Amino acid sequence: MNPREETIAVGGVDVHTWISGQGDPLLVLHGAGGNRGFTRSMRALAERYTVYAPTHPGFGRSGDAEWMDGIDDLARFHLWFMEAAGLRRPHLLGHSIGGWTAAEMATMSPGSIDRLVLVAPVGLKPETGEILDVFFYSPQQLRDLTVHDPKTIPEWDELYGKPPTPAELEIVERNREMTARLTWKPYMHNPRLPRFLSRVTNPALIVWGREDQIVPVACGEQYRRLLPNATLHVFDHCGHLPPIEQPDAFARLVLDFLGGGAR
Amino acid sequence: MKLYYFSEMPHHEYPDAEGDKYPSLRLAFPNRFFDPGKAAENYQRYFAEYELADQVGFDGLMINEHHSTPSCVDVGVNMTAAVLGRTTKRAKILILGNILPVEDNPVRMAEQLAMADLVSNGRVLSGFVRGVGVEQWWANANPVHNRERFQECHDLILKCWTEPGPFRWEGKHYHFRHVNPWCLPLQKPHPPIWIPGTASPETAIWAGQRGYTYVPFLVPFEIARELFEFYRQGAAEVGRTATPDNFGFLICAVTADTKAKAIEAGRHFVWRMGPTLRGPIDWFQPVGMRSRAGKQFALKARPRSLATMSYEDLLAANLIIAGTPDEVADKFALVHRELGVGHLLLEAQESRMDHETTARSIELMGAKIIPLTSKL
Repeated sequence: MNPREETIAVGGVDVHTWISGQGDPLLVLHGAGGNRGFTRSMRALAERYTVYAPTHPGFGRSGDAEWMDGIDDLARFHLWFMEAAGLRRPHLLGHSIGGWTAAEMATMSPGSIDRLVLVAPVGLKPETGEILDVFFYSPQQLRDLTVHDPKTIPEWDELYGKPPTPAELEIVERNREMTARLTWKPYMHNPRLPRFLSRVTNPALIVWGREDQIVPVACGEQYRRLLPNATLHVFDHCGHLPPIEQPDAFARLVLDFLGGGAR
Repeated sequence: MKLYYFSEMPHHEYPDAEGDKYPSLRLAFPNRFFDPGKAAENYQRYFAEYELADQVGFDGLMINEHHSTPSCVDVGVNMTAAVLGRTTKRAKILILGNILPVEDNPVRMAEQLAMADLVSNGRVLSGFVRGVGVEQWWANANPVHNRERFQECHDLILKCWTEPGPFRWEGKHYHFRHVNPWCLPLQKPHPPIWIPGTASPETAIWAGQRGYTYVPFLVPFEIARELFEFYRQGAAEVGRTATPDNFGFLICAVTADTKAKAIEAGRHFVWRMGPTLRGPIDWFQPVGMRSRAGKQFALKARPRSLATMSYEDLLAANLIIAGTPDEVADKFALVHRELGVGHLLLEAQESRMDHETTARSIELMGAKIIPLTSKL
């Protein structure tokens, strides 16, 4: 089924949204790199769930939200988005800053979401190591740091094979700027989040790549410990992008967790 | 035309091969190469050179501030201004400038500038700058807010100087409930405000609207003229006509008793054009710091980065002026004819240019050049 694109107005912002699939709703929140739409793993998820993939305000083709000042603002915004899009108690999957956003949403309104999947989320200060200062590196350097081994990535050519067009470069810049707006200080974490997570009893799956050079896998262990009902799965030979680096295994893992693995 | 003496107070006291090992001399070059003994000696000579410039007749002494770099170890311009306020007698003290977007307490900045103005008997020219990206990293200040914070910090400082306290300030970035500084500038309504520019048309327009003195740094003449045009646009919007007193220009300059000596001394300026500006673009211009218009203009303003220009290119472009006093005076007259500026800022010491060379250049400018340029 081909994904359709919609513009959903939320709190004065036009939110560009990809929608595809069938079944219960699954809300997917993208990372700092932007909304990649229906990549291979997402297509697999859409076979069992109706996947909503909104582009965060200030990113990609969504409207501006220069008033936003932190991930908690984005979390509130996506709780409004759920209402505006008519999503009742969806499963929630977020990657990187989208994972942090999902975790904040769960602390704000645990009853409005069903199961929680956090993929290499930032949001916690690592007990050991540091979250890479992504603004200190060029987008080209970051691409190399983000994945473990391009040769193992089935969609590499499709996603990264062509030099970006000027319009795409504009979007890269825009995504980076909005990420800076949301995460600059304290850098990529909320010092109060550990306090809040203990109240989130939703079943939660934490997913990480063993070779993640952006966010230390130690953070995965912290999330697992802080969330009362969480399991952690770590992929070997995988960096910061499990849904892209190991799309089939990732989709299987998530479908099993959400209960849609068996027909 | 008024002349200003300026040194970045560099700390070029390490083997260059060590600096070359790092992606940039800024932020990444480890401070184990900082030599406190050398730095202490250098501060003495740098201040002595400023004092000499005051004595020989320079109209102003320019100081600037950077961080986390050997290219400039003047890490607190208001401290420097206070020292010069006591050790010099007549020249203006041009602070160009305080880096507003990384300042967390504009009230304290207003007080410190007021104190420097009082200590110097009303000689402060107060420049405000947005800073290069490196300072955003140094202060961990979000570059996305650079322009907003510059504006709000400026507005609060001005209010401290011009409106009676106590008052309350609750803006977007700054919040103070009891503002009542007990230290106000001697100059009324406040010290003159100067703004540097390299490539932001918005900044030029903004300065023009307020009648501030606007100074492009080391850009080709045609770009400076375009920026002055933006300034005039801003001035016209509020019914003001710009005069040469509103415009300055910054170049590097040195003179000596012979042409050969001057040409040799001028080579020291190449360091500040290349090695000290080397580094990843994201360090010098982090995400969100520059507007789209500013970015486009910057591409035009620097068709060639300073770092790619040879010493000969820089001399030919008059970004470095080096020669006998007569030759240098002619070049200054050329800058004046080309740009119509009332203020010429001379970066007149750099890198490893020694005290003897620097002091002789200052003396010759005082004796042979200032008498000519002051008539322009």
